[in-house]
Amino acid sequence: MATTTATLNLSSDMLSSPISITASSILMKAGITEGLELIEMGRGTIAETDGSKTAEFGLPTALGADKAAKLFLVNKATDPTYYIDIDLHDTNVGRLYAGDWMFIPWGMNDTVSELVIEAEPSGATCPYEFVLLQEPQTLVAHS
Amino acid sequence: MATTASISISSDITESVPFSVNASMTMYQAGTTLDLEETTGLAQRTFSGNTTQVTLIDVSATAVTAAAGGHKVYIRNTGTDKTKGFKVFLADATDDTEEIGTLYGQDWMLMPWLATDANEDIMVQPSSSDKMTIEYAVFHQ
Repeated sequence: MATTTATLNLSSDMLSSPISITASSILMKAGITEGLELIEMGRGTIAETDGSKTAEFGLPTALGADKAAKLFLVNKATDPTYYIDIDLHDTNVGRLYAGDWMFIPWGMNDTVSELVIEAEPSGATCPYEFVLLQEPQTLVAHS
Repeated sequence: MATTASISISSDITESVPFSVNASMTMYQAGTTLDLEETTGLAQRTFSGNTTQVTLIDVSATAVTAAAGGHKVYIRNTGTDKTKGFKVFLADATDDTEEIGTLYGQDWMLMPWLATDANEDIMVQPSSSDKMTIEYAVFHQ
């Protein structure tokens, strides 16, 4: 069985009692103790002039409903004003500013599970890197 | 008042090419290099006898500056059972919910949160009526 581990170390000194979080998880298929088996990773660039685009990684309809997937996405821009706007279909999640990353479970159930990205503000260009870890997809018959 | 987060992912899915990725970030106010200055602190909530969708993080109760853009949300299923999970949802301005994904035992997530509108709460739904616990924190402007 493949073993994929994701570990977080988070610390904050905002409070008089500092927050220190260490979390680690072995990433499994949905509801069972078998490891994820498919990995997809890469780098792309999106510019503000590109408008709103469906991310090129992941194909929700190929994975199917109620399967496990995890997505890591990082904005590699260096200008702190540049951000990638993240939507799940038409629901706005938030903004990844330069250097920010996110790690989420991704319920790639159907076409409305699509991840939509957009670079902002005017003139922004954001390189990004992603890693998508998931269960095996359903193979498609050849044409 | 720095808040930093680092992630390390390692995998042997590709046996011939072991994979690892590491990244870290300092959480800044939107569009600046000024540290985030507010947090809910680390909170915990336990569910039992409930498999319906409920609000975990209420925009109105969190004192975030709407649409400021720098907010981050951390959520973890503290259970160890990989067969039980919390589905996590994000509501939009019309209170329609979109599923983000499922956190099984020990799974965690860290994501940006725009919180543009008072309706854009984060919801969870336990998969089992057994006792299940989730911990969470918001770091915000």
